[in-house]
Amino acid sequence: MNKNWNRREFLQKTSAATLAAMVAGMPTSLLSSCTSPKIKAKADTVILLWMAGGMAHTDTFDPKKYTPYEKGMQSNSVLSTFKSVPTALDGIHFSEGLQSIGNVLNEGTIIRSYVAADLGHILHSRHQYHWHTCYEPPQTVAAPHIGSWIASQLGPKNPVIPAFIDIGQRFTVGEAEELKAFHTAGFLGNEYGPFFIPDPSAGLDSVKPPVGMSYQRFEKRNQLYKELIGKSPIGEYGSDYQKESLQRSMEQAYMLLKSPESKAFDLSLEPRENYDRYNTGRFGLGCLLAKRLTEQGARFISVTTEYEPFKGWDTHENGNSRLTEMKRQIDSPIAQLIKDLKQTGHLDRTIIILASEFSRDMMTEGRPGAKVQEQVSQPDIINDIKHYGMHRHFTDGCSILMFGGGIKKGYAYGKTADERPCKSIEKPIKIAQLHQTIYHALGIPADTHYEIEKRPFYTTPDGNGKAEMELFA
Amino acid sequence: MTEVSLLTSFWLWQFLGRLHPLVVHFPIGLLVIALILEFYSSNKKDQDFRSGKYLILLIGALSAISASVFGLLLKDQDDYAGNTLDFHQWSGIATALLSVGTFYFFHLSKKNNTTKLSTVYRTLLFFAVVGVTLAGHYGSSLTHGPDYLTEVLPWTSESDISGNPEFNLASLTTDSSNGKLNPSQIAGLNLEVRSIFAHNCFKCHGEEKTKGQLRLDRRELVMRGGKSGEVIDPGHPENSEMIRRLLLPRGDKESMPPKGKTLSRQEISTLELWIKLGAPWPANSNEKSIYRVAELAPRKPTIPRDDSGLTNPIDLFVNSYFEGKNVSWPSVVDDKVFIRRVFLDIIGLLPPPEKIDDFVADNSPSKRELLVKELLDRKDDYAQHWLSFWNDALRNDYSGTGYITGGRFAITDWLYESLKSNKPYDLFVKELVNPDKKSVGFIRGIQWRGTVNASQRVEMQAAQNISQVFLGLNLKCASCHDSFISDLKLSDAYAFANIFSDTTLEINRCDKPIGKMAGTRVIFSELGKIDSSLSVDGKLKQLAEYLAAPKNGRLYRTIVNRIWAQLMGRGIVEPVDMMDNEPWSQDLLDWLASDFVENKSDLKQLIFLIATSKTYQLPSVGIKNENDIVSSGYTFKGMHRRRLSAEQFADAISTVIDPVYPDTIRQYDPFKNSDSSISLHYARASLVKNDIFLTALGRPNRENVSTSRSSQANLLQALELTNGLKFNAVLESGSKKLLQHYSASDQIINELYKMCLGRPPEEAELKSAIEKLGTVPKEEDIQDLIWAILLLPEFQLIY
Repeated sequence: MNKNWNRREFLQKTSAATLAAMVAGMPTSLLSSCTSPKIKAKADTVILLWMAGGMAHTDTFDPKKYTPYEKGMQSNSVLSTFKSVPTALDGIHFSEGLQSIGNVLNEGTIIRSYVAADLGHILHSRHQYHWHTCYEPPQTVAAPHIGSWIASQLGPKNPVIPAFIDIGQRFTVGEAEELKAFHTAGFLGNEYGPFFIPDPSAGLDSVKPPVGMSYQRFEKRNQLYKELIGKSPIGEYGSDYQKESLQRSMEQAYMLLKSPESKAFDLSLEPRENYDRYNTGRFGLGCLLAKRLTEQGARFISVTTEYEPFKGWDTHENGNSRLTEMKRQIDSPIAQLIKDLKQTGHLDRTIIILASEFSRDMMTEGRPGAKVQEQVSQPDIINDIKHYGMHRHFTDGCSILMFGGGIKKGYAYGKTADERPCKSIEKPIKIAQLHQTIYHALGIPADTHYEIEKRPFYTTPDGNGKAEMELFA
Repeated sequence: MTEVSLLTSFWLWQFLGRLHPLVVHFPIGLLVIALILEFYSSNKKDQDFRSGKYLILLIGALSAISASVFGLLLKDQDDYAGNTLDFHQWSGIATALLSVGTFYFFHLSKKNNTTKLSTVYRTLLFFAVVGVTLAGHYGSSLTHGPDYLTEVLPWTSESDISGNPEFNLASLTTDSSNGKLNPSQIAGLNLEVRSIFAHNCFKCHGEEKTKGQLRLDRRELVMRGGKSGEVIDPGHPENSEMIRRLLLPRGDKESMPPKGKTLSRQEISTLELWIKLGAPWPANSNEKSIYRVAELAPRKPTIPRDDSGLTNPIDLFVNSYFEGKNVSWPSVVDDKVFIRRVFLDIIGLLPPPEKIDDFVADNSPSKRELLVKELLDRKDDYAQHWLSFWNDALRNDYSGTGYITGGRFAITDWLYESLKSNKPYDLFVKELVNPDKKSVGFIRGIQWRGTVNASQRVEMQAAQNISQVFLGLNLKCASCHDSFISDLKLSDAYAFANIFSDTTLEINRCDKPIGKMAGTRVIFSELGKIDSSLSVDGKLKQLAEYLAAPKNGRLYRTIVNRIWAQLMGRGIVEPVDMMDNEPWSQDLLDWLASDFVENKSDLKQLIFLIATSKTYQLPSVGIKNENDIVSSGYTFKGMHRRRLSAEQFADAISTVIDPVYPDTIRQYDPFKNSDSSISLHYARASLVKNDIFLTALGRPNRENVSTSRSSQANLLQALELTNGLKFNAVLESGSKKLLQHYSASDQIINELYKMCLGRPPEEAELKSAIEKLGTVPKEEDIQDLIWAILLLPEFQLIY
């Protein structure tokens, strides 16, 4: 298995070198395990807003011709099941129900040409694995989540806030094992793994003393621990890293739990009025928690609408009515998140990405020209409203939103066709580019890698991901 | 980087680049003619040639610039490099600049006819012609080879061309009929082959120019092949692309060499013979394989003799190692440390306090051997401990990816029974490689729905996992492209994977088919030939026999090293999956492996031998930094301290405090085949699904083979231990239980120290604990005390 020593040794050396260089007032290019010139970071924090389950672009951020429901209508004639509404950006429309996000589009960029991978017969978690790790499963080694890469490269922004926080996903649902396979630091080591907060309103429980334990008792417990360590005869065996890392980590956990920053996890401290703007459910409160953590110095936060087979965005039927509800859940909190971070000045240094593993279409399963086994039956003639919606998995032409962290303000990137198949027709962008764009914003060079089993494993396959510079202001 | 890829990808640039060889002839001709005209008209005052020269120089300058630009375009799309290219490039660019200058001054001198301007113009023209001559020369050297001109000169020595005047193919051919060449004959043949390459092929397939990405100047590059795949198939000249191309008629566009002299029949025969003999390239020829390659064959070194009373062969080997390293033997650990060590190492549990007392009180001189034997005989406890190790290695688990779509099979039942019955390791391996329904999960790998990368098809997973687990060999690189970390080739990986396939696999390089079908052979082909005409079952049967054969020393060295590492905290070779690395004692490793085979591959016998050695009983050695353990200057001095594994920790709490996992959530019933209806009050952690608690403490998700765990603690782990629900629940129930049995603080403290640490508290410890509990202990204070004791390094470490 992997030994961490390469990275450790490297970090030790480089942090010393970085310090030395800073003292000498010289620029340094030693920050990462690579030879490329140092990139000036535009952002320090990442918030990933994960639309789990496949968000249909034509019914959300890339609406096409609207065809209202009527019995006996042709499936093939339906491109969008919602009206379009204008956004803050001239000529750019969103689907009805996303007005609030549309109103803050002047703060960010809409990408309309994301092309998800062809992985054959669709399994959501498999595409999600690919989105989050940049690698197609299975892999010969355990590939790290993008959050873990960032945690390992940049460390926590505030030492008492875990570098990678994952909000909203429970692992008791279907496909849980597949979800676990990418919610991991993989070969980078558990140290960089996600800190899970499945329920944002219970976030505080994860960073306070055990239920029922007062802070006073908590401190005394720690005091006792230190005393007993000092008095234990095992001291005679001298020092070693297991013992030292154990004590150091316990001390860190103790510091986190009694730190003022841990209050950031407590949503009840948010003014009522603002709390209500976010409170559209677990996702909305997740956005609120992300906001509070960003303000206290988080590094990477993922907030998900939560993946559960056939729930959320995973609309195999009733797409139209289900999306009305999904939009209600996301519209207000996301817009509020942008506004709040802008107001506190954090938006400039925080890159926010809204994405989904792929899109949906009423007719095409997979990609035009590369259709895969159909998983949803869709009648040619719609006689039941439950068939009115985007129910098939569509991988070509997905929408992504990006805000802050040096991303262009009020900009539309890429385009999909206005007729079926509504696929990317301009500036198609794929996962490796997208990841490297995020890494670039954080100042992490493209050839960042980790040596595992003696071979280099890059943040994007073979280190080939190129940042899309056009997205930056 | 962006520019380069644009240049190389866009068709128009490619096209223009290829016009370079055409365009270059314009400046050559025009500039030379201009110079000739200049000489011709130098003494004449007439203006006859002026307008002609004007046009010639203008076109000359323009074509020189075009030639330079096109040349730069060509450079990036073709495989040119090296000094000659640099000379060519810069002399070409200089020529272009000079010719522009020439034209400019000619133009000026035409306007104001001064001598000064004419001199500048003539000088520039002269140097432009020198430049174009140099550029032309280097350019043709690139295209035709540096000795294109000189090789036809009568005074160029012929003996240079045939590398070895004493080389006699006929004698080799005759000798080889009996199968083998002696090493000097092999070296001679290899030298001759390299000489043929050097004289016929290097001009396009060498360091300076690498057409079709093929280089023939170094062993690994020859074996790697080029853009269209491998060029030789060792053992099979008739399948080798190189021979096919050499034999193609001149004029066929794939014929090699494409121009110049063709190879003689004798030269081709030499190459054929060389390939037929497996393309030998001896390591001691002038450049070596840069990778250490371990011996495959078993070896049984003589046990060193010593009169100091050591009897265990391990100790005798270590003694001789210590003498070489000037390490002296410390005294062995006391009974309490020993009993805790063997309990945790052999059955994964803490020794019960009464057992410790009895053991310490026992005066029998052979009590340590007896204890080891007794523990090894606790079949279920042994199996439930080693199950975790093997689950990691065979990536077997109760939950995980793949199960959801029927793309994965558990082998728990087979594994548990195999461990419980102490199945001989050769049989164990055979049953995994050539499985029945119960053990098929290992080679079936994990299949996700949809299409997967070619390097991760299940046959390749089988090849990778078998190589890693059983042979300590990393095949993962070579399953996508030729390895950069060993001599393994893509074709080796595919040939190995092909054994597991019922249809012939097509070789993919970096997920793209290269139009070649895989061969069928064992990764160490010396072990035996696989009959590719057999069904998968037939091939697997052969493979299983070959792998488990005693002559496969690699298999047995790998397992004894793994067991050693489990008991000693570090392998004799590290990392344990890289068995080509140098062991700290080759003799010890080789002897252990051979002895293991002689003892019917009995894993318990091996553990017994190690655990009863004086070496195992040495005081533990601490490590300051996790990387010291694999550093090259490592010296063995004794067992290394380790953290309890996730399972050992959970089981320890379950036994001394209160169950972490109730028996009801067990995923496998270890007693289903036994008559007795044994029911524990808790489930061993090796028998439950992975969860947040176990993950935080280092149990891997078994999506990939994992053969060692990190002992390093981290923040997420500490948070789980500080306020995790699972741990907290046990603290609560445990303190309740204690209060039911005891009421006085000192009783509780004594009991906790005895149960957890196998000793009474020292005075200072008792004092601190009493301070915490007071005279009438409260439940929550007891919880805190238990928490503090369980997190003491003394509890957390195996020392």
